[in-house]
Amino acid sequence: MQDRAAEEFFSRLAEGRFQTMRCSGCGEIHYPPRVICPLCLGEDLEWVDMPREGILAAFTQQKDAIRCRKPDVLGLVELEGIGNVLTRIDAAFEELRIGQRVVFDTWTSPDSVVLHQFRPID
Amino acid sequence: MAEVYITGVAMTDIGWHELDAHELGARVCVESLRDAGLLPSQVEGLLSTPHGYMADTRKMITQRMADYLGMKCGLMLEIDSGGNSSSVAVHIAFDRIRLGILDSCLIFASQREAPPKRIKNDIAGHFHLIKAANSLYDSYQAAYGVISPLPFYAMSIQRYMYRHGIAPEDIARVAVLLRDHALRHPQAAYKEPLSLEEVLASNLISPPIHRLESSEMHDGAAAVVLVSEELARGNDRAVRVAGIAEAHDPTSFIPYRGEIDRFPCVERAARTALSRSGYGIADIDVAEVYGAFAGMEPMMYEEIGFFAPGEAPAAIKEWRTTFGGDVLINPSGGRLSLGHPAYVTPLLEFTEVVRQLRGEAGERQRPGASVGLVHTEQGFINGSIVAILDQPDGRAAGTG
Repeated sequence: MQDRAAEEFFSRLAEGRFQTMRCSGCGEIHYPPRVICPLCLGEDLEWVDMPREGILAAFTQQKDAIRCRKPDVLGLVELEGIGNVLTRIDAAFEELRIGQRVVFDTWTSPDSVVLHQFRPID
Repeated sequence: MAEVYITGVAMTDIGWHELDAHELGARVCVESLRDAGLLPSQVEGLLSTPHGYMADTRKMITQRMADYLGMKCGLMLEIDSGGNSSSVAVHIAFDRIRLGILDSCLIFASQREAPPKRIKNDIAGHFHLIKAANSLYDSYQAAYGVISPLPFYAMSIQRYMYRHGIAPEDIARVAVLLRDHALRHPQAAYKEPLSLEEVLASNLISPPIHRLESSEMHDGAAAVVLVSEELARGNDRAVRVAGIAEAHDPTSFIPYRGEIDRFPCVERAARTALSRSGYGIADIDVAEVYGAFAGMEPMMYEEIGFFAPGEAPAAIKEWRTTFGGDVLINPSGGRLSLGHPAYVTPLLEFTEVVRQLRGEAGERQRPGASVGLVHTEQGFINGSIVAILDQPDGRAAGTG
């Protein structure tokens, strides 16, 4: 069970749209998306595109997990004006380094869930 | 306002237990009351926590204990704030007593988990627990299959090592040192010494975290008795709660806006608790710090204020956090080597610091310990509680 903003986020993602919500009242962008603006308490929010390029801030692997197990890589990507996004990194663990530029893509898990992932550019 | 004292502490051995969580809890309740010189009928507040994360839920734990031990209370509360739960309980009891509403509170926690091996051997039979573990995280974290905060801690430690140029041996050394401490603790889960080579050769369960740098879940129970000045009078083993503070960040696990290797709530809780107590960080003789991973220990020491950012690993290497050092940190062996029944852990930390300040810590005793600190956290250190304890009349512990 997900909240409405999360449901909408993942259904947009399945269409290749990488978006979050901006408050129409005060202009603040919120990630993760939410249906109420915590800054001005406004309820009029709209979907806006997030940057598709970012910086790899950290990365690791998980052995015990119900999705994205080793050898998959999990990473934290810094997106300008957004903050940190937890994501899958589409590369071998050994080839990655902190500070690398990465670019957005979608990834369909073996159990058919569409998630976002990032891939090193250089 | 009135002062508040701890007059009773008790803990079981840490490891795997066969006794039911309720009975395990009853044992430490009774032992802590004996330690305090109180009968159950004199307990006015009873506070507890759930029995574990990977445990089938049982509700109304305190009510059942009140019936079993015959306690007619004016406060009964079961708190779930993750790892902070039992220290939140101490904080609430402290406030009620300080306000003069109650004169005595008993806080207990008992943890009985489904052992990880049992889960691995029967995933289908435990799938409800695995799903429940995944549902701790919001949709944007849970979608990536996370069932423990381990990968978040791994990225935090990686970032910290990168920022300050910390070597893997500097992190592994913390696990070795905490094991040395635990060997002086007869109730610790681990009884064998650990070498730097063993730690570095153990599996990278979530890089850069080695298996031997990660605390395992355990069973166990502990209890703490808090009383008013009036009830503590004449009790020369009473330890004063000199200050306590709680602080949270607006985050749930991953800090979407902050740095993954900084934990502002810890700094705020420590600064506030110290200021309420009237002590400075340099006055602390002994501390119990909630670090669930070897790499988190130096980060927590720094956030609390013992060392400047990036300087704790060198201080640890120079023996400044062990016996004979500037401040004795985690004499119990810490989460890594005392063992880590998470809901019980804060009460284990209070128990250790109380024993140190009473001069009753045996081979682990820091001579003359008179001011102690307890630090706890919840989630991925999204919230923290810090308490300062002292000897009310300046009695120095362990000096006879």
